[in-house]
This record gives sequence, structure tokens and C-alpha cells, in this order.
Amino acid sequence: MNHRKKHLDFEVNLIPFIDFLSVSICFLLITAVWLNVGSMDVKQAVGGQAQEDTAKVPTMWVRMTSEGDLNLEVQQSSLVPAAFRKIRIAKQDNKIDLGAFEKAIQSLRKSEPALKMGLIQPTASTSYEEIIDVMDKLKTQGFNDLGVSPL
Amino acid sequence: MISDGVLRQSVLTGTVVSQSIIHPQGGSGKKTIVGDLLLTALIDAFSILVVFLLMNFSSNGEILMIGKNQELPKAHMAAVLERNPVIKMDEGKLYLEDKVTTPNQLTGELLTLRQKHQELHPNVPFPGIATIQADRRIKYDSLNQVILAMNQAGYSDIKFAVVVK
Repeated sequence: MNHRKKHLDFEVNLIPFIDFLSVSICFLLITAVWLNVGSMDVKQAVGGQAQEDTAKVPTMWVRMTSEGDLNLEVQQSSLVPAAFRKIRIAKQDNKIDLGAFEKAIQSLRKSEPALKMGLIQPTASTSYEEIIDVMDKLKTQGFNDLGVSPL
Repeated sequence: MISDGVLRQSVLTGTVVSQSIIHPQGGSGKKTIVGDLLLTALIDAFSILVVFLLMNFSSNGEILMIGKNQELPKAHMAAVLERNPVIKMDEGKLYLEDKVTTPNQLTGELLTLRQKHQELHPNVPFPGIATIQADRRIKYDSLNQVILAMNQAGYSDIKFAVVVK
């Protein structure tokens, strides 16, 4: 019997594969979102519910002045020493000193780990960017419940 | 694989080549030029591109329309943007869901949206969430009008649209 050796090599047709990849690239390039937009979630700090319904949890008020200073005030906390319940962070180069603010809230969180609520009270002349910067620093330090107070 | 495959059949017999004085090809000699393409590198590049684009793919759709003069503030700790009523402040104008409005009308229009939501979802509690999209340079004075209107209409949760750093 004449047994001829069969070739085990076979051809893979690459054209459909290249077609598929090209179409995928076109689709993904067209639908790509280059600007990554997210959201900073906050609640209304004032007026949401009656004061007696509000839970008494450690809270920090961040009062932003028109000059760029920050006044921090911790309420409903027994662990934070009385001397540190009110902190003033002066502006630096006509801007909010975010570095000093971060250090201050870090130390406050160390002394009161349950301090997770931050309420921000801006002034009429405070820029939106500054408010978001303050919120971002608060979120970075574990303040998950943020509120903003209307004027 | 390529030289033995389909591409071997695709013979490039150019007319210019056959006209060459020094080395005339084609015509009587019937010489052929076989175009070998290195497809492995091409497929590698395509695959890397597809993987990169898939990783950046966002299935959220286009929630916000950002104007060319509008710059959103930047933040590290941003949450995923969800579909909620969008209040946009752009070039001194106020928009609710891309319809121009005024701060005085905003409360009424938010209340209408709330009613529509309750008619469509009678058994679902009203979430009271709205997204604010504004330029990073605007003052809180302007934002305050929107926040007060939201407060009056029962929208207690605010989502400030930001660009993730």
C-alpha cells in the first residue's frame, strides 16, 4: 500500500482576524472617552431635616473666608482636645494652604477616628475650584459624609 | 506561513518594472515580484491597541456635554458619574437637561422633573439627586442659587461634576 505522508501544517487565514481587529479599533476609537469625568458627592448641609432628627455624630465645620483662610471647628466630639477644636489655617500666596489643611485634618482624625462628617461653609466670593479642592482633601482623609452649606 | 500562503498568489507585476532599461522584468521573462508582508507585527500592534482601548472603554455613555470654554475642577477622590438630572452653568447661562432656564424657574422645573419621576416609578422612593456641572472659576455666589433651588425642590444630594486627576 502506498501511504503518502500527509502534511500536518495548515494555513490560518489571517484576513478575517485582521478585519475584526481593524473594525474593533475603529469602533473603540470612535466611542473612546478621553476625558475621565467623575462626581464629588455631597449633601445639603443645612435644611435637609429637622435639627432634632440629625444624629449627633462628630462633625467638623470648615468655614472658608473671603481672604482664603480656613476656620475649622470640631463639634460633638469628646476625644478631640478643647485646644484643637478650633483651628485657623491662614492663606499662603493668596491661596488656601491645602498642605496645612491636610495635616490639620489628619491629626484631627487621629485623635477622633469617628470624625467622618465634614461640612463646608463657603463665602459668596469663594471659587468653585477651591471648594472642590477642600472636599477632595477631606475625602482623601476619610471624611465620607460631606455637606455644603448655602449662603 | 505567509510566503506559502494566500499572499503568494497576489503577485505584483508592475508596468513600470517591465519598462526598466537596466533590468527589465516582466513581459517576456515573466518574472514576478512577491510582496511579503510581516503580518505578525501588524497583528501584535492591533491586539495591543484593542486591549488598550478596551481598558479605557467607558460604558457610561455621554452624560455631560462639556463646552469648549468650560473647565471642570479636578479631584482625586471622584466617584463614578451616574445619570441624574444635570444642571449646567455655562457662559453665564443656566441649563437644566440642556434646556435654558433661570434661577427663578429652576425650582419649578426641578419639581416637574420630580413629579415625572414619581409618575414613572410610583413604588420607588425619590432619590433627590442632581448633578451640577460648572466651570471651575465661577464663584459660590452663582452656585448658591442652584443649591438653594435644589433644596427647595427636595434634591438634597448634590453631585459636582469633576475631572478625575
